[in-house]
Amino acid sequence: MAVAAIHSGGIAEHIHPEPQGFVRRYVFSLDHKIIGIQYIITAFVFFMLSGLLAEAIRTQLLNPNGGFVAPGTYNEVYSVHGSAMVWLVIIPLLTGGFGNLVFPLQIGARDVAFPWLNMLSFWIFPVAGLMLFSSFLMGAPTAGWMEYPPISLQGAAGTSMWCAAIFLVGVSSTITGINFVVTILKMRAPGMTFTRMPLFVWGQFATAPLLMIATTALAAALAALFIERQFGVPFFDPTKGGSPVMWQHMFWFYSHPAVYIMILPAFGIISEVLPTFARKPVFGYKLIAFSSMAIALLGFMVWAHHMFTSGLAPFLQLPFMILTYIIGVPTGIKIFSWTATLFGGKIHYSTAMLFAIGFIGLFTIGGITGIFLAAIPFDLHVHGTYFIVAHLHYVLVGGSLMGVFAGMYYWFPKMSGRLLNETLGKIHFWLFFIGFNCTFLPMHWLGMLGMPREVATYDPQFTFWNRFESVASYLMTFAILIFFVNVLWSIRNGRRSGPNPWGARTLEWQIPSPPHYYNFKHVPTVYGLPYDFSQPLPYKGLEEELTDSPPPVAAGAH
Amino acid sequence: MVERTAQPARLGRGFWVVTAVLAALAVAAIVFCYVFPLERYLPAAIVTARQVDDLIRFMSATGSALYIFVAGYLIYFAIAFRAKASDAPDAIGVQIHDNRKLEFWWTVIPLLFVLVLSVVSVRIWYEILLEPENGLVVEAIGHQFYFSFRYPDINGEVTDEMHIPLNVPVTLNLTSADVIHGFWVPAMRLKNDTVPGLVTTIRFTPRLAGRYPIICTQFCGVEHSEMDKQVLVIEDKASFDRWYKGWQQKNARASNALPGASGQAIPLQGGDVAAGKALFSQKCTACHKLAPFNQTLVGPGLEAVLHDPAHPDLVNGKAANPADVASILENGYTGSMGAMPSASSNGLSPQDIANLVAFLNTLK
Repeated sequence: MAVAAIHSGGIAEHIHPEPQGFVRRYVFSLDHKIIGIQYIITAFVFFMLSGLLAEAIRTQLLNPNGGFVAPGTYNEVYSVHGSAMVWLVIIPLLTGGFGNLVFPLQIGARDVAFPWLNMLSFWIFPVAGLMLFSSFLMGAPTAGWMEYPPISLQGAAGTSMWCAAIFLVGVSSTITGINFVVTILKMRAPGMTFTRMPLFVWGQFATAPLLMIATTALAAALAALFIERQFGVPFFDPTKGGSPVMWQHMFWFYSHPAVYIMILPAFGIISEVLPTFARKPVFGYKLIAFSSMAIALLGFMVWAHHMFTSGLAPFLQLPFMILTYIIGVPTGIKIFSWTATLFGGKIHYSTAMLFAIGFIGLFTIGGITGIFLAAIPFDLHVHGTYFIVAHLHYVLVGGSLMGVFAGMYYWFPKMSGRLLNETLGKIHFWLFFIGFNCTFLPMHWLGMLGMPREVATYDPQFTFWNRFESVASYLMTFAILIFFVNVLWSIRNGRRSGPNPWGARTLEWQIPSPPHYYNFKHVPTVYGLPYDFSQPLPYKGLEEELTDSPPPVAAGAH
Repeated sequence: MVERTAQPARLGRGFWVVTAVLAALAVAAIVFCYVFPLERYLPAAIVTARQVDDLIRFMSATGSALYIFVAGYLIYFAIAFRAKASDAPDAIGVQIHDNRKLEFWWTVIPLLFVLVLSVVSVRIWYEILLEPENGLVVEAIGHQFYFSFRYPDINGEVTDEMHIPLNVPVTLNLTSADVIHGFWVPAMRLKNDTVPGLVTTIRFTPRLAGRYPIICTQFCGVEHSEMDKQVLVIEDKASFDRWYKGWQQKNARASNALPGASGQAIPLQGGDVAAGKALFSQKCTACHKLAPFNQTLVGPGLEAVLHDPAHPDLVNGKAANPADVASILENGYTGSMGAMPSASSNGLSPQDIANLVAFLNTLK
């Protein structure tokens, strides 16, 4: 077969010798699996820091007149919380983290297309993260993660630091996007056609162009804001001829697609976990795959639905409302397909599966309120209130973060060779699920009744529900502590997993855990979709993977 | 070997029982959404608020019905199809890959629903947009950290409460003197941002007397949280007229320019016409022509600005006078004619302002 010959003689068999020495292996590594784990560890460190900021927010809101921190400090706290959770936690976890770790294995590649770029893109990320948190030293940004000018022009010096940090994260994202697109287009194993790719790969394939294209708009906006703040060139200041609304267009032209950057890979994780533990194929493979692409495409055409109160002409607003409604259709298709995947299954309740099912239940709430918010008359009421806070946390915590946890429990054995403790895992799931709903569900009601977002003090009529939410958020934090304890304990003491503890059928589970440096002894040939449990595995060339046969010959001297 | 393939799944009796229960729950949720007394918690102060409430009812009824079915089947499948102790360890589910008919319908039905929702929401949105245009004109200006209001026959700004008469259509022009604020009255189910340099308009007709909080919904600085203390008062015509007269008297001597940062009038004696003319060509001609008012460059033409009876009032109610012009030069202007920078961003000293006013005063 010509295709196979090209692959086995060409890119795929180009193997470099495994590096020796701690630094080249684990610090400045070129190995996509190590880089993925580096992303995950770094992002979870930032997750802890911004989680503490979240608890500072909830502690402040225990009382209607605040009092935990000064209002100015409070504004810094929620601004950095939002920015860090979006750019330093969810996006790196789902793209750089799980993306790097898993999808090259799933397409039968030995690495990503550009390992050096991959290392560069990782090492930009912790630097940018430290820059963002160091902005506290010089007065952190206060205008939320959106930093609308002109108020962000008045912000302390840390706002410029914020611009630089987010700009750098954007560079890292863009590089990752390019890398993933090229890898998926060029480095699939022979026989791995597009319609045989696992759905997690489809999720990354839909996300990567968003990273590549949308992030450039953000970079331009951040550069402009930085230049205006530092050198006074008036892009946004209306008293000097700038346009504050232009920032909103540029920001949301990135940040709406960014919502899909944060959810499409999580969709991919769910689409892997559900069939594995239901012991049956995912329902409607093609529709799930294509709906991801449809969401990615439509995601570029709806940004102004964040700006219905910004004074746009009505005829400009109308298409954004309708297009946003239409995004509900491919999203609905996914939700229906996942639900149907459970039908007729033999469901095994691992923690990963609990998180996957919880994801469907919670993300659907965020999706439905998203449709509500697209309706202009309703948005004119609740825009800028706690209804928005509730909606976005149902999508990003109930959706993306639940997806991350599903992925952690599912792929932890592939990273470490050990299983996470399932008892602690189930406690983690239930406490988190209950704590999350009690924290964020009442916010819908508060927002409808008149509680604006980004406030350090509030109307005393809302005291009861705010206290309720704060207490529930402590439960959530406790659940996450259990998760960290579980990870730290299991990494040394967890039960050994073997190559395939879940009986999963995608390629990454057919090789040892953790995989060898070169991933596959021989690049396999793929004959079909992985998901049919009644068929033999659709791969050839994997016979030696779990034996002691020698590794492939390194041919990297050049 | 134990048989590992499950029996072909059929929609058994359990499925239809669950479906019936979910349908009953969905109907209950729809009824609940339609009978829920939302106005008891949040009064509907203007006419269109009730239409927004109708939309809220429609969306939450359909949304919760949909959610009940999704979550209900999810939970039912999750329980009914769990692996049991009696199953072989390698038992597998029914290998269903897809079902064209089902997928067709769950694509088409949501699309039809999108169509219905579009029609419903566009209709209600048009009701909001098509409120009468010839109503009482009020201007609300966002400041750090309060709103001020301007009325056609009141000089200067009203700074405590915003009053409007019952059942009289209102055209509310919104702008800001500094950063973006959000002007939200929850009881109106309506808000808009106040954007500096931009005037946006909302129109409504009050239908219910009362005092309703005005809340800022766009982060605007360190005291943003405190920017919820002002109220919108809807009252009968007689009370409104009393309040209006009171402010007319109170503000009889107020300037119509924006309130100053310094708060002190700039002395205009000794302005040098020649210096003002030179300064005008340096600093002002980028935006202002020496031409009739309606020849706008960025700002209006300034020919005979202080002496032309046809020149419209600079700000509500009063013909332009040197003190107002000086105040605008010092503090800037934001309003229906656009935005003009303040002296601090233009780099104008008090003497510069006096010179410019002296020059403008010579244009006849």
